[in-house]
Amino acid sequence: MANVIITGASRGIGLAIAQALVRDDYTVIAIARQETEELAAARQQAPESIYFAPFDLSEIDKLHELARELRARFGPIYGLINNAGIGTEGILATMPESNIEKLIRLNMLSPIMLTKYVVRSMMNEGAGRIVNISSIIASTGYQGLSVYAATKASMIGFTKSLAREVGRLGINVNAVAPGFLETELTGSMNDAQRQRIAGRSALQRLANVEDVAEAVTFLLSDKARNITGTVLTVDAGSTA
Amino acid sequence: MSTRSKIIQAIEEIAAAQKKTLAPLTDDLALTNSGLDSLCFALLVARLEDETGRDPFSESDEVSFPVTLGELIALYEHEHA
Repeated sequence: MANVIITGASRGIGLAIAQALVRDDYTVIAIARQETEELAAARQQAPESIYFAPFDLSEIDKLHELARELRARFGPIYGLINNAGIGTEGILATMPESNIEKLIRLNMLSPIMLTKYVVRSMMNEGAGRIVNISSIIASTGYQGLSVYAATKASMIGFTKSLAREVGRLGINVNAVAPGFLETELTGSMNDAQRQRIAGRSALQRLANVEDVAEAVTFLLSDKARNITGTVLTVDAGSTA
Repeated sequence: MSTRSKIIQAIEEIAAAQKKTLAPLTDDLALTNSGLDSLCFALLVARLEDETGRDPFSESDEVSFPVTLGELIALYEHEHA
């Protein structure tokens, strides 16, 4: 079973990716600060296929050791899904500097550093897949999300150049750009807002986390062997 | 196997795998003239970390990439001390 690391795997998109990869016979190494009930339940259902690695991804200086430990414990790493991130909103002119720094640290610096060390295992094996979770906000813009957008746009630039860098070693690097998702909207938007956003999409609905998970499993599969350096948008056509 | 032998063997195997022609591997060989490119050196660092558990370039911000093969070997031998 090929090993795949997923960051932010305790809920939402990360958890959905973990469940889809287990279904497709991968071994999942789920990284999150704390285990949720949902992740614990998924582990109970597939104790040989999902492992929980508690870790605070903002601790940049410990990422090298984390990568070493995971390599030593599980063997070669085939896949890395850089999913963890925060979506702090704020008008830039009044946003606390600490919030700006935290966004950049978690959404940008941390995935780049983790990739630096995990890609070494892939280089030694001459094979690997990296998927960076970006966002349609990277290209569309949204009021109150300028810093978040900057971090998500950076993941696309990172994806394209790293794909060039490691392609000849048999490593594919892609990004997935989800739109507004069904589940993530429920907490912060009312029905009218949901319907307005869904009404703007080509398919007149919202994508959900399972749709994003299927895009990721495709990019990890052999079917995507000739796809690298690209962005797969999953937004039910809201940016079409 | 000594650290020196591990490094030389790794360089030869990486050069073969990446279809690079190596210059004679003497201590005073400038790495830029070795026949390996920057990705090959990244591969070398990754492989040596796997084999030795050491990565002298990440352990300190003060370590810059060595100029000659002899300096590269010394860096890893020093880490072993």
